[in-house]
Amino acid sequence: MIHFYHVTKRFDAYSTALHDVTFHIEKGEFVFLTGPSGAGKSTLLKLILRQMVPTEGQIVVNGRNLNAMKRKHLPYFRREIGMVFQEFKLIERMTIFENLSFILTVIGLTAKEHKKKAYTALRAVGLQHKMNYYPLQLSGGEQQRVAIARALINDPLMLIADEPTGNLDPDLAQEVLEIFNAANLRGSTVLVATHDRDLIERSNRRVIALDHGRMGEEKAAATGKTIARNDSIFVNWS
Amino acid sequence: MSEFEAQLPSSTVTYFFREAVRRIWVSKRSSFVAVVMIAISMLIVGFFLLISENLGRAVEMAQGRSRVDVYLAVDATQTQIAAIDRWLASQPDFARRRFVSRDEALRRFVSYFANLQGIITQLDGNPFPASFEVDVAPNTMQSPAFLREAKALRGISGVDDVQFDWEWVRRLKRVVNIVNIAGIIAGVVLALAAAFTIANVIRLTMMLYREEIDIMRLVGATERIIRGPFLVEGFLQGAAGALLAVMMLFVSFEIARRAIAPANSLAWSFLFNGFLPWQKLGALVLCGMLAGTLGSWMSVRESGEEAV
Repeated sequence: MIHFYHVTKRFDAYSTALHDVTFHIEKGEFVFLTGPSGAGKSTLLKLILRQMVPTEGQIVVNGRNLNAMKRKHLPYFRREIGMVFQEFKLIERMTIFENLSFILTVIGLTAKEHKKKAYTALRAVGLQHKMNYYPLQLSGGEQQRVAIARALINDPLMLIADEPTGNLDPDLAQEVLEIFNAANLRGSTVLVATHDRDLIERSNRRVIALDHGRMGEEKAAATGKTIARNDSIFVNWS
Repeated sequence: MSEFEAQLPSSTVTYFFREAVRRIWVSKRSSFVAVVMIAISMLIVGFFLLISENLGRAVEMAQGRSRVDVYLAVDATQTQIAAIDRWLASQPDFARRRFVSRDEALRRFVSYFANLQGIITQLDGNPFPASFEVDVAPNTMQSPAFLREAKALRGISGVDDVQFDWEWVRRLKRVVNIVNIAGIIAGVVLALAAAFTIANVIRLTMMLYREEIDIMRLVGATERIIRGPFLVEGFLQGAAGALLAVMMLFVSFEIARRAIAPANSLAWSFLFNGFLPWQKLGALVLCGMLAGTLGSWMSVRESGEEAV
């Protein structure tokens, strides 16, 4: 589903965000992307979303080579991805319902379908009773759940989340993880970027670690066994 | 059609208009400036159109009444007169004619200028030549063929002179053409100026919605969906400005017609003959809409080029 082949992303001669990163995420997998701040997690997610292109290497997502993708095809590609942003990226002037319904307008669904889908998505995150609230009337955790509902509203092939539990207490973080698990069970490939060690350990999923833009460790799901290791990189888990 | 392409659903078009109206309302002041700018531009264009329209009507009326006088030589024989008559009859442009004998010409002069009757009695004989008065079909005088026919007519034996007094009509027509050209130039320049104003207003609106546009792009909105409301916003501003211009033009015309031009004066017939026909009013409104859409298109195109 997501394939990185020797991907390097340089912003200038002195700033390399990712260096020779290679990994593969298969369809239906649930993978954590971890590493300390500045490791290159957000850059990697931006590359998957094709907000930027790699300086070197190739990225193939859902069978499409992102390096060669035409700009006019980009919106349709992004519709296959449900993205949960660290800073939520909700539209403040719209109600919660409108924030979700807007995605469906973009896709071209009818108003009747909007109501049904938006309600279902909000119920999945337990916020159906707040559909007429504005984002700023909600707590950080609630806004995060709305962002998740928005990402899931169109049953995406891939769910990608950037620090989705960064603003949540442990209980809410667990709730969010359960929502991701449910999406994964429904068939979505899930990639969660986080530095929340507890969350990773509780979920017992495959882990890809980055440090200073380089691949650190890959740990297999269930066994926790290291399946790949770059010995030149020390990943500080503590 | 590729796998990615899809038709624009009607709910999306509704969304375009709803969003455009909302954004105009949110940015009332800048939208008002854009509408006024379009209105002023279209008012000036409409002013030129109105002058050109009324002068054009005057030209048409003059052309409809055009007449050629074929003066015969004083010593023209009946045979020559008959030959000239036959020649005139054979030319389609000169077909409607009336013969005015020397006596009738004298009678007309006396009836028109009764105070000059004494001069006539002092002359030895009738000084007025016989003539043919020929009604010319409208627009005929513009044709080169007609000028060739008039030259040929002058060469016929028994013809002394051929006069056609429509040089002033030609001059008027030239004025109409100048007004038209000036109107077109002013229209293009002003419409472009208005389009640039709208472009700046839309640019400001887009800056206001920059974050929202970024989110839209990230969740898979096409450029068409993102640009649509802005294009409709420019279109609506252009339409509102043009409609305002039409109203202002009509009110100004009616006030000027009543205040400046008394009935039956020359100014009345030339400049206040009538308001613009609906086709030209429609064209004016369309022009405003196009200017508005062009302005917003300039802005959204820039934004699209920056986007990733």
